[in-house]
Amino acid sequence: MAALSAIAMVGNASLGSPSNCSAVLSPPCNVSAEKQRRFSRSRCFFPFVASVLETKNEAEKYRKDKTRSVLNNRRRPSITSVVTNLSWCSTSSAAEIGGRRHGAYAQGASLRDQAEASSVSLVSPSTPDLFLLDLASKIEDSLAEGDDLGNDVLARLREEATEATLGCRWPTNKDEAYRFTDVKFLKLANIVPVNSSSESSFNPESLNLPESEGSRLVFIDGVLSKTLSRVDNLPEGVIVGSISSIPQEAVRKFVLPRLSGVAERSQRDVFACLNGVGARDLVVVIVPAGVKVTKPLYVLYYSSSQGSPSSSSSVASSENSSYALSNPRLLVTVGKDSELDFVEDFSGAPESLYWSNSVCEIEIHERGRVGHSYVQEQSRHAVHIRQTYVSQVEASSYKLVEAVFGGRLSRHNLHIQQLGPDTVTEMSTFLLAGRKQLHDLHSKLVLDHPRGISRQLHKCIVSDSSGHGVFDGNVRVNRLAQQTDAGQLSRNLLLAPRATVNVKPNLQIIANDVKCSHGAAISDLEEEQLFYFRARGIDAMTARSALVFSFGAEVLQKLEGAGLRKRVESLVKNSLAEEGYMNPELAVTI
Amino acid sequence: MAATMLPAVAAVTRPAISALQHQQQENRIRKTDGPAAQSVCSSSTKLSTGWRLEEIGTCCRNAVKNSSSSSASVYVSSTQQQKGRRGLATWATLTDAPVESEQEKVGDVLLEVRGLCAVVEATGKEILRGVDLTIHQGEVHAIMGKNGSGKSTLSKVLVGHPDYVVTAGTAVYKGENLFDKEPEERSHAGLFLSFQSPVEIPGVSNMDFLRMACNARRSSLGLPELGPLEFYGFLSPKLAALNMDPSFLDRNVNEGFSGGEKKRNEILQLAVLEADMAILDEIDSGLDVDALRDVASAVNGLRKSDNAVLMITHYQRLLDYIKPTYVHIMEAGRIIKTGDSSLALQLEAGGYQALKDSA
Ligand SMILES: Nc1ncnc2c1ncn2[C@@H]1O[C@H](COP(=O)(O)OP(=O)(O)OP(=O)(O)O)[C@@H](O)[C@H]1O
Ligand SMILES: [Mg+2]
Repeated sequence: MAALSAIAMVGNASLGSPSNCSAVLSPPCNVSAEKQRRFSRSRCFFPFVASVLETKNEAEKYRKDKTRSVLNNRRRPSITSVVTNLSWCSTSSAAEIGGRRHGAYAQGASLRDQAEASSVSLVSPSTPDLFLLDLASKIEDSLAEGDDLGNDVLARLREEATEATLGCRWPTNKDEAYRFTDVKFLKLANIVPVNSSSESSFNPESLNLPESEGSRLVFIDGVLSKTLSRVDNLPEGVIVGSISSIPQEAVRKFVLPRLSGVAERSQRDVFACLNGVGARDLVVVIVPAGVKVTKPLYVLYYSSSQGSPSSSSSVASSENSSYALSNPRLLVTVGKDSELDFVEDFSGAPESLYWSNSVCEIEIHERGRVGHSYVQEQSRHAVHIRQTYVSQVEASSYKLVEAVFGGRLSRHNLHIQQLGPDTVTEMSTFLLAGRKQLHDLHSKLVLDHPRGISRQLHKCIVSDSSGHGVFDGNVRVNRLAQQTDAGQLSRNLLLAPRATVNVKPNLQIIANDVKCSHGAAISDLEEEQLFYFRARGIDAMTARSALVFSFGAEVLQKLEGAGLRKRVESLVKNSLAEEGYMNPELAVTI
Repeated sequence: MAATMLPAVAAVTRPAISALQHQQQENRIRKTDGPAAQSVCSSSTKLSTGWRLEEIGTCCRNAVKNSSSSSASVYVSSTQQQKGRRGLATWATLTDAPVESEQEKVGDVLLEVRGLCAVVEATGKEILRGVDLTIHQGEVHAIMGKNGSGKSTLSKVLVGHPDYVVTAGTAVYKGENLFDKEPEERSHAGLFLSFQSPVEIPGVSNMDFLRMACNARRSSLGLPELGPLEFYGFLSPKLAALNMDPSFLDRNVNEGFSGGEKKRNEILQLAVLEADMAILDEIDSGLDVDALRDVASAVNGLRKSDNAVLMITHYQRLLDYIKPTYVHIMEAGRIIKTGDSSLALQLEAGGYQALKDSA
């Protein structure tokens, strides 16, 4: 069958026998599509991928597996051989992968830890990172000059973060976590922390936001706008607002406990630290025990045009360009038996250079439920860096739907920690990387308790030769996390020649009674689906458009709110149409 | 073959002659192309009409159909020796006065498949090894046959599935060469296949898909496209006829549908496209009793004097609801036996071996 999909590897790991064996399954895949023309077939990369697998046996098994549905979660007899391939699959050649497989990764999990630990931070006070120190002090100075947003809690946050920053250094591509994601250009650019309000320059209606019956929080350059936000129709007991405006008792009860240990949680991530240093506001959403917020809370982040314009040729020479830096920070606490749906929408002044460096912490207590939609539609030249920390207590549920379109660079570090048994975690992501865009998702889910269920679906379209997608999805099933049911799938669609993705979905399984599956695919459109359209009279060109669109729609359909979906629909259509992949009039919807 | 072929003495002569005539025409066609092929179709139509008037068992007409294949000529020569002259006389009278009975009217040839051979593109494995099949307007045909005999392959080859390559033979649909057309053009011409295992399309809602398909057909016919509301109006009665919940429209195409729901959804598409030649590959598998009745009555409701149905099934149960004019048995990529609905009953009672023994 001439299927166009190349499922680069399907790993089904299930360790049935009690053993200390730890398995790291890392479906190696990757690939740059060398296609002669748009919509042309991309060849399968089976032989090339097979060379990465340790043994002939594995390759054989993989061959058998390749056609099977990736998330079929079949229980399998114990795997005795440990597949340890922690290396990324590289884009360019099989030789590189082949060579690396003999590398130093034989011990799987433990080495992985080491790699992780050394990834961003490298605490070496002897060699302080001058650029970073310079940047941190620039941020401090700007805060001192700026609007008076003084607050004890914020001061403590900044202090702790400043200390942590001293131990960090700016990441380079030698750090595993930034191997494919270049942040060097920011070092060459002029970074201007925003320290004054530009509320007046922005009208949220201009964004054509979906009609929201629920409440709305609007961040302008990292500070909550009291005039544009609307929090009047929330259920009783729900506390929403800036740290300086909420009751002291709530601060003591909900915010302070969360404040200490920020640095640990962030694993000394340099960007999380910088956010702490530069946070001009801390916005808090507290849903007390037993309260169900029925209408979604809409959180809009807007970056105003305080950087240099991006439309002119000045963008090319990054020395002259200045990025307006803002550091929004949000804390969401959902109590026992409570429910909250919220939407985060990142936007900004068009044709303007800015760097949005946000942090969001989400705490979900016993049986709490959080639905989280995340839409990033910032300017094509913007920088979007984001840390999300989620902690899930017993029987809680967290569902994230993420849609990423904007930014020259977007990087999301998503860290989910399980604090009790029977949790449900769902992560669905769609990224669309076009001309000169790099979208990077690093997710890490750590399971330490029994009977957790987790599902991750990562989908990425790269629609231009200069586009790039990066994904590192780590799910760690620790010793006590028995009867975990974890599924992970990454699907990538490369539409242009030399379009690139680097994906590394990986499961680390230490518990021995679990049901886990994961896989990754670099594919063109599915031939069988294409034929189905044509058999119903829809021409091949239209069918391809519809399938490209539907590739993302599978994730976008889960976004909260019809209005939001409608808006995202036209976003996807327009950006695919811009690059010639679809007719924007095509009658497909999300 | 002979056993089912001779219900009456008079009957024998007709195929004999027509077969001869066909044989001659065939030879001509081999040399020329296109228009000549059409003349064959029309002549065979006329002959079949004549047969009906003589109230000869339908199976005999099949001899006409098969006449162009090489095996037919052997049969012809032997019968002609016995009954040749008498047959000729009958033939002369009939052609002079071709009367058509109102109820038993046989329509024009809709689809004519001759000597069709096809291989799997990827492996070169031959699946179809000379399939002959003629379907007239107003008829219902059923193909039965063991698993793996090539039934689904035949249906997929007809609609242009890219997994297969046609290596020999022809298929003429509405007088045009089917294999010259792209899959979407075949659909626009009214050919429809209800797939044995319809593919799931995550991210595309059923509603959008149906409307795209409907509008593609309409634009090919020069009709204006239907907007969302108009289309819903057009669709509602069809949904109701299939006892389908409108919530199916919001779901993604076939995604997470049960086996039976997928089949219903295929028939919904058939209803929307108002196809002329519907090939239904095992629409009965996976259906519960009620669903089978719904689906079958929807199919019956779509039947008209100028369209036709080709069903692939393993069981008599479906044929109780949708009565076939002909039943064909397929084996190893060929149709090895053709008869009326009694063939299916025979099969149900004794299995494929019994059918073979009786042959
Ligand atoms: N794309 C393909 N690649 C390889 N083999 C194929 C392909 N399609 C069909 N075949 C083979 O051709 C033979 C006929 O298959 P087909 O699906 O037509 O059978 P069928 O008569 O419809 O059977 P069933 O009653 O089980 O549906 C089988 O042996 C099948 O494995
Ligand atoms: Mg079949």
